[in-house]
Amino acid sequence: MTQCPECDAAVENPTMIPGEVFPCPDCGTELEVTGKNPFTVELAPQEAEDWGE
Amino acid sequence: MNVAVVGGSGYVGGELLRLLLRHPEVEVSQVTSDTFVGKSIARPHPNLRKVSTLTFVSHADLRPADATFVATPHGEAMARMPELLASGGIVIDLSADHRLKDPSLYPKHYRTDHPHPEVLAKAVLGLPEVYRERLKSSNLIAVPGCIATASILALHPLVSIGILDDRGVVVDAKSGSSASGRDSGPAGAHAERSGVMRAYAPTGHRHTAEIEQETGLKVALSCHAVEAVRGVLATCHAFVNRPVEEKELWRAYRSAYGNEPFVRIVHESDGLYREPEPKILAGTNYCDVGFATDPHAHRIVALGALDNLMKGAAGNAVQCFNLRAGFPETAGLDFLGLHPV
Repeated sequence: MTQCPECDAAVENPTMIPGEVFPCPDCGTELEVTGKNPFTVELAPQEAEDWGE
Repeated sequence: MNVAVVGGSGYVGGELLRLLLRHPEVEVSQVTSDTFVGKSIARPHPNLRKVSTLTFVSHADLRPADATFVATPHGEAMARMPELLASGGIVIDLSADHRLKDPSLYPKHYRTDHPHPEVLAKAVLGLPEVYRERLKSSNLIAVPGCIATASILALHPLVSIGILDDRGVVVDAKSGSSASGRDSGPAGAHAERSGVMRAYAPTGHRHTAEIEQETGLKVALSCHAVEAVRGVLATCHAFVNRPVEEKELWRAYRSAYGNEPFVRIVHESDGLYREPEPKILAGTNYCDVGFATDPHAHRIVALGALDNLMKGAAGNAVQCFNLRAGFPETAGLDFLGLHPV
């Protein structure tokens, strides 16, 4: 169990391996698994996006 | 459980019927409307065509029921409430007549003296997220207004952690046309209303009193009519007494609503709707809340979005009824909304 770096939500995904990316269940930020034991994550690299307006 | 709907011909009454006719624990025994006496409920509510043989009866012919939902215009329920309560059932009032605890506020905000101020003390405000335990035993539930519900739920976590300063809060609310009711007058006609961004109450909106009562904050409320049929978005500008990080706000909102069945925290870095958006809540009982920090102006923008006829009225009323009756809180309220819509 670890925390989302963006919103502090508790996140854990025991089936994932380092390098895999998944969204935080609370804030939707894409997280990259960086360690399995213990489970650790970092913010996944984001592509620049123009959201309009 | 048999229930009656008083004032069933308006938009809120129609939404109550839509929910209650499919509620697994309910039989709708009576629906009143003095305008539509003898006519099918499908006359003002065509979405209910061929789902029920119910016809409207006059208010005078109302019989006691296990639960009575009152969806009459403001000022009518307050006169009849002692009689309704004496019948022994649960009363759920969707009008403004029992929302305010202080009777002296009624002349100021509703231009009428409350004829039975002693009844106000018996009412519990229909906000499960704040008063869940009290709602389980109250025989008079006063469902808050749509803009008030969106605003209170958006602000409640900020008030709980004590980070707001004494400047008060500015609430900028947008609402769809159904919020003004079935008889909204010439200003509500399509030719006049379509396309507007109308400041219909830049100051002085009546829901100010409810928001102040429930948050303890000085509230400056401005209300706008926008191009939608359903929906309320309350954008609340609150000012803080110290620097605040978003993680702290996530914790506050998660603490307040993490286990709530109908409040979702929406503040996402990606996706189509990153902050609360009423459009995708139409027909649902959700209130989506969100926030953003503004260190430059020492401000937090708290957002609340809902369907004014659902979490802003009938859906919330059924949620409160479920709690009071001991039914699953989500019974009859499981619609997830439409997308795209």
